[in-house]
Amino acid sequence: MAARTAGSSRTIRRGPGGTLGVNMTPMIDVVFLLLIYFMVATDFVVTEEIYRLDLPQRLGSGAPDDPFELERDPVRIGVHTTGPEPEDYALDLTGPWPQPTTFEELLAFLQRNLIRDEGSGLFPRDHPILVAPDPDTGWEHAVEAFSTAVRAGYVNVQFVPTS
Amino acid sequence: MRSVVHPRGPASVTANLTPMIDMTFLLIVFFVLVSQITDRQRVRMDLPRPRDPATMRQRDEQRTVINVVPAEDGAVAAIRVGGDDFPADPDGFASLRQELERQYRENPAVRMNLRADRRIRYRSIEPVMRSVTEAAQAAGVLPRVNLVVERKD
Repeated sequence: MAARTAGSSRTIRRGPGGTLGVNMTPMIDVVFLLLIYFMVATDFVVTEEIYRLDLPQRLGSGAPDDPFELERDPVRIGVHTTGPEPEDYALDLTGPWPQPTTFEELLAFLQRNLIRDEGSGLFPRDHPILVAPDPDTGWEHAVEAFSTAVRAGYVNVQFVPTS
Repeated sequence: MRSVVHPRGPASVTANLTPMIDMTFLLIVFFVLVSQITDRQRVRMDLPRPRDPATMRQRDEQRTVINVVPAEDGAVAAIRVGGDDFPADPDGFASLRQELERQYRENPAVRMNLRADRRIRYRSIEPVMRSVTEAAQAAGVLPRVNLVVERKD
């Protein structure tokens, strides 16, 4: 129902009860645009996972925390970054072992020597494995070496301090 | 248009939009807050991506995120814990140790999530791990750390 006020050329729309109405459509459009923007901009994808590392009382010693437990010679894995690319690294194993040139060879060595139910192997699952990066070794290569030991099935894997 | 059956004309159906607008604003506020909380805990960086990692998903447990923020050439710009930045120098590591010890005393079961960029040199990471160990020893708890990596899918 339209009404015309005196002296005005505008038409004021009034509802059946005589109340004023506000056009909500543009506001709803803007609100939905904002909502879509934030939904697109927010990243809910979780791609981060963790390795549990319980640091020993003596960092990197490989020695058991129980003073009555016999010490075992740890397997020490040296990791060196030789260039800027992810493939630029070198490995060395302390001891009379064949030297791996890649992480896959290191994995094969560790898996081959893991004592399994059949009785073959040299190292039990809780044998101390020390990852010894150089001071200039990239964190990526240090974590890859750690990951390789964990993948092989060992549970006592530690980092060695540089000093 | 009036008829014999409907003398007042056809019924006009209107929807009450107020609850829908309320819900929409609530959703917007939710997304704004979530994005801010995520940015404070997860500093953007390139995490290591090990091959076929034997990692595990983060459990629902008390944790403190230690972000080792990278600078150029594998150096460390700062170490961010919560909203606090600690410089990568002896004074900064001492302050970091104090803060971590405080957190261990508040909650002995807390785990430290160590997030470091893949380009950072090990010489810059090792003092952070040492600080965690010393803080835990001072608080009389075991140092429990989670190494955070990115999973290649």
